[in-house]
Amino acid sequence: MGQRRLLTLAGIAAFWAAVVLYHLISLQVFHHRYYVQLARQHQEVPIEVPAPRGTLFDRNGQTLAMSVPTESVYVNPLKLPDLGMAADLLGRVLHLDRAQLFATLKQAYDDHRGYLLIKHRVDFQEAENLRGLAFDWIGVQHESQRHYPKGDLAAHVLGGVDFSETGTSGVERALEQDLHGVPGEMRLVTDVKGRGIESQLAKPARPGAAITLTIDERIQFVAERELEAAVIEHHAFAGSLVAMNPQNGEVLAMASYPTYDPNQALQGNDPRRINHAVSLPFEPGSVFKVITLSAALETTDLKPDSPINCHGGAFTLPGRVIHDSHAGLGIIPMADVLARSSNSGAVEIGSHVGPENLYKYVRRFGFGQKTGIELKEENRGRVWPFNRWRKTSWASVSMGQEVGVTTLQLAQAAAVVANGGFLIHPHLVLKKNDKPVPVAPPVRILQPDNAILMRSMMEGVVVLPYGTGRRARLDGYSVGGKTGSAQIFDTQTKHYTHSYNGTFMGFAPLTNPALVVVVTLNGTHGEGGFGGVVAAPVFHAVASEALRVMEVPRDLPDDKPHTLVAVAANMDDLADPDRADTDNVLADDDDDAPDAQVAAPSGPTVPNFKGMNMRAVLAQAAEMGITVLPAGSGIARVQNPPAGTPLYEGERIRVQFVR
Amino acid sequence: MSTLPNPFRRTPIAHAAPASAPHTRIHAARDPYLLRPLPGEDLRIEFKTINNSRLVREPDPQARGACWSAIAAGALCVVLLGGALVPRLLNTLEGYKLEALRVENRRLLDERRNLELLEAELTAPQRLQELAKHQNMVVPQSGQVVHLNTPASGDATVAMLP
Repeated sequence: MGQRRLLTLAGIAAFWAAVVLYHLISLQVFHHRYYVQLARQHQEVPIEVPAPRGTLFDRNGQTLAMSVPTESVYVNPLKLPDLGMAADLLGRVLHLDRAQLFATLKQAYDDHRGYLLIKHRVDFQEAENLRGLAFDWIGVQHESQRHYPKGDLAAHVLGGVDFSETGTSGVERALEQDLHGVPGEMRLVTDVKGRGIESQLAKPARPGAAITLTIDERIQFVAERELEAAVIEHHAFAGSLVAMNPQNGEVLAMASYPTYDPNQALQGNDPRRINHAVSLPFEPGSVFKVITLSAALETTDLKPDSPINCHGGAFTLPGRVIHDSHAGLGIIPMADVLARSSNSGAVEIGSHVGPENLYKYVRRFGFGQKTGIELKEENRGRVWPFNRWRKTSWASVSMGQEVGVTTLQLAQAAAVVANGGFLIHPHLVLKKNDKPVPVAPPVRILQPDNAILMRSMMEGVVVLPYGTGRRARLDGYSVGGKTGSAQIFDTQTKHYTHSYNGTFMGFAPLTNPALVVVVTLNGTHGEGGFGGVVAAPVFHAVASEALRVMEVPRDLPDDKPHTLVAVAANMDDLADPDRADTDNVLADDDDDAPDAQVAAPSGPTVPNFKGMNMRAVLAQAAEMGITVLPAGSGIARVQNPPAGTPLYEGERIRVQFVR
Repeated sequence: MSTLPNPFRRTPIAHAAPASAPHTRIHAARDPYLLRPLPGEDLRIEFKTINNSRLVREPDPQARGACWSAIAAGALCVVLLGGALVPRLLNTLEGYKLEALRVENRRLLDERRNLELLEAELTAPQRLQELAKHQNMVVPQSGQVVHLNTPASGDATVAMLP
């Protein structure tokens, strides 16, 4: 009897054990994944790992654009346990008005909305407090906000972003792939109080790349300041400026006016957002004569001193006559055609070059095609296909008509002359994540000797007393350049107006150009709106500051050649009309004032280093106990102070070496 | 002593109550004028002093070993349990610290970005120009610029420009 009872009890126990075992196996084996997932849903919180959009720096590491992470609070109104309690809680934690919050929550609840943003950009402590509550109806989401800490500086280069931080213009748009960050995800195991215990990286974040631009914010600032002043002063409707290193195509400054603040939200098609330097082509006018004369040097026997018949200022073509504004120019050297900016002379030279060669060199200089700069707004300009040229198109093109160019294309063309004949590729991006960005190799399009001849002729534009670009002269640096004043064509009346696109393109120093600056003012008026009057002074201001900032050694003595001021000159069609009143920087007596206070030089006399190599220069300098500041390599070509000058105590001698 | 209730009345075993007492109670209950008994009045607790001083426990030669075995087993269990639980506990505690540090790290990174932004705003050329204007500062003229620690070019060491 007793054994039977025991067996019954054992059977019941075994059955109970079997049931427990079955449930254990069911929980741990068959439904393992389900319950693990269920447990994770309760214990784990997905945390977004922010991946901010890449920062934009200037070439010296100054921040131009950066994204700052922020957090926003949202709720799911459909999950709210109690509207009043939620309004109380959120109002207290987020410092919001309770009544207004309650109304908003109620409205969202009545509308059956599953998402309601409560507050943007909450501070860190507020976000932490809400996370600690661990309510399933409150969420904190990461956001990012783009800032442009320099305001409107380089606005057209940088561009802007939309509400989702997607680039809409400028570098922001062109480098969207690199700048855009992909956020990651982290699974955070929390305790009952919502405190994190352990986290696992589910998906790594990929922050946007840090981009270092070629822009120098100091030069950019001066460029924008001077451009704005010139546009306002000369009542132009727009202006643009490009400063570039002619040796490698690095754009140091790109300014466009009117401008805007990229921190402000984009509203419609704001015309201020147009980057005039790359987006709006214009007829260049006389600056294009540089292309004509370069083609002449390459394809004809013409030399700078070759006589060119300017036909008394009127060149007759089939069906039209081309005039200079000031008649009277007869046969003058080709260099003077450039210095005086004679239209008839340029057309005469163009006739020597021939239409086919002219077209070929226009294309070789990069006109009619994009430069490839990292701006999607870039316009290719306009060069008619050769088969669409009319009978007199070659004449128009010779003096810069019937073509449309951008300021950047002009800078690219000026760089060809400045760097010895290479077509370089302008670019804005220096580094991506501290890795240098490769640049397409330059292409030779001019023979070196012809490039040097062009440089000397362009120097005449600035240096010669009758040159049209005298206002571009720099103190201590040799300058080459060309002015342009193209009448604006009215598409409605089909006539040229008396409004001009005043342009100056130039480079300095002449011996080893370190800087190309092209300035264009659109819509200047009358003779006071010529390029030599409106654009050359901007070049002067910007180039002076840029060369100082770039620490480019001077290649001219500080002594001013006063003789230049006294020489009278003829006015041509595009020369400065008020040249007599022009401030000549080389004759500015104010600059001499500080010298009068300096004690008389007491050091040794400067030796003549010209023609010596660096080793010999340094040896001789060491022997004499003087310090030399060498620049470049090769043979000494230029020195400052010049030979024979007594040195001040402690004064250094700068010597420019050229190969 | 007579006021004490019966249950606490210490009665030596040698002076045990007479056996006739319950009968008296029974007879009293029949008396209509007699009060009814208190609950438990008929219970008595006897105390007896037992002197075991003369008893001697018989020595068990295996008891000592069994005792130590039990202690060792207990200790082993504690060690095993501790070995299994302590790392987990420490892991959890360190996890708290780690997560707190991660949060702190993120907060500091955010703060650094905000400070970098502030620095960039403060060093904006436009702002510097305004400040310079207020302090009557001007851009140095050519020839007034002094370059300190200019990188040497070639073999020459350069200190400053005139």
